[in-house]
Amino acid sequence: MASSETRSFGASVMSFFNKLSCAIFIWFLLGTSVSFAESIAFDKAQLATVKTQNMGKQWLMLLWSVDCPPCFKELAIIQKLQGQHDDLAVVIINTDASDEINAERKDIIEKFELNNFSNFHFVDGKGDQSRFFIDPNWYGELPRSYFVESNGKFHGKSGLVNQSILTQWLVN
Amino acid sequence: MSILTRIVCSTIVCALLIFVMNASEAAGHNHQATHQVMQSKKKPMPSCEGVKIICAKTVTSAFAPNGDLWRLWALDLSIYFQLSTDGGATFSAITRVAIDKEKVSARGENRPKIAFDKYQGVYLSWATPKEKKHTADIRFSYSSDYGKTFTKPVTVNDDNLLTGHSFNEMLVTADGEVSIVWLDSRLSHQLRLQGKKTNGSALFLGKANYRENETSFVNEQLANNTCVCCRIAMDYNDNGELAIFWRHIYGDNIREFALLTLAQGKSGQQEPYQISYDRWKINGCPHQGGAISINDKNRYHLVWFNQGEVGKGIFYAASNDQGKSLTKPVSVGMQSAQAAHPHLNTNGNNIDIVWTQFTGTEHELWHQRSTDNGKSFTQAVMLAKAFNGSDRPFIVKKGKVSYVSWHRPKQGHLVQAL
Repeated sequence: MASSETRSFGASVMSFFNKLSCAIFIWFLLGTSVSFAESIAFDKAQLATVKTQNMGKQWLMLLWSVDCPPCFKELAIIQKLQGQHDDLAVVIINTDASDEINAERKDIIEKFELNNFSNFHFVDGKGDQSRFFIDPNWYGELPRSYFVESNGKFHGKSGLVNQSILTQWLVN
Repeated sequence: MSILTRIVCSTIVCALLIFVMNASEAAGHNHQATHQVMQSKKKPMPSCEGVKIICAKTVTSAFAPNGDLWRLWALDLSIYFQLSTDGGATFSAITRVAIDKEKVSARGENRPKIAFDKYQGVYLSWATPKEKKHTADIRFSYSSDYGKTFTKPVTVNDDNLLTGHSFNEMLVTADGEVSIVWLDSRLSHQLRLQGKKTNGSALFLGKANYRENETSFVNEQLANNTCVCCRIAMDYNDNGELAIFWRHIYGDNIREFALLTLAQGKSGQQEPYQISYDRWKINGCPHQGGAISINDKNRYHLVWFNQGEVGKGIFYAASNDQGKSLTKPVSVGMQSAQAAHPHLNTNGNNIDIVWTQFTGTEHELWHQRSTDNGKSFTQAVMLAKAFNGSDRPFIVKKGKVSYVSWHRPKQGHLVQAL
């Protein structure tokens, strides 16, 4: 049992170094002054980070799919608001959980000029897991908007949210 | 720091790290070998290679009249299939449907469809996405020689518009009469061009009979203002009439299920019956369609999913008058365990319902049966688990035996007698 734990610990250390070396490589390669934001694989740690980063302000977490026409309407509203107001606190998450749509997702983010926001995506095959740790009472219907209070309290709403409500929430 | 300097620095750092890691790996080699032996005792997970079925997100299954189980999936701009002569225990080699490559919608609620006639005819239908987002055409191909050759695919929707045509469902009679229904955006497309607001899609029907050389699918509109992203369900009733069950938009984005039986001739039902009254108001995509199966004496059995103010979860109900009146809907599965994606089928007086539940890490396939034509159901039992995501489960019939077909991406396609 002890040797199994040692092996497991060894594997964890190796895995950590693997990830660290890649992270260092990417950091050196890109530098810290990146001017574009690639979509980031979403996990529990990312959710925790996003929550921490936005603590103290009202923000919006918007979840969308390439297979959801009404989602595009909400993305278009965010695009419009971004043109009118600075520093909107919006986090955007794609829920397709399929590597097949990576290029499509990128195109849509660019089309709606959403690169300035934090963009995440559910990992291939882990769509429901990601959905569940965000909100076990959400069944995946889209678009899904979470209105997050400054104290970190989430309020989920399914379906397209109109522009006035989004403006009211995001523009103080 | 210039980009060149960064690349040089990063390469040096990586080389050093790789050297250190290799040294550690060499030191720990014996431990790793022991670990591999331990792992090999576990059943290995199948790997996704090439066009194997486990690489697919969705699978479609159906029994042919001769008892063969066909399963098909889409990958790499192609549709592939395999046959099983032993109820899904073993399958033939993978065969590619011999048509030109094109995109095939095969995610979530969308997937190719297959049906058979009694003369070795095999019928395929699918949606092919077009260059503009959320546009697609409904496609069809026919094999008169049990899958050896297929006709050049034709487009079923006859509007020649670059707009949405998707979520195709197909039934074929033993004599080869093909009925394909789909969600069609041609009306909303035209209204948008006129600067008018629209909501939802329309339900369209196309019919053909390739054996009778009736090969042009004349399109007929059956309903307007349907939900745009849920699968349709249909079955024949005792009179050979098509009964179609779909998610409709009522009032201000109340998404409820509707049912329409197409009477032979024009004297039948004109307006669809509203089936669910769960009051799910959502201007969005539930991505959850229903299922219908009609058994003896024209008893319609229905199952659906809603998250409304009044009704949340999976519901089952039956009707003896084509949906005009309904038994009291009963709840199926555990709403608190994310019960979703129900499917049902009938076999004599047996009503089988399958659905998925989710633990937060694993999907579970659940089943319950009624042996008294839907009056009561046995306790639900869990049949299987999925570890890398889950396709929708479906029930397919071979004579008096019903089977569940459940695809588990990167794990395998489960076929099990119920």
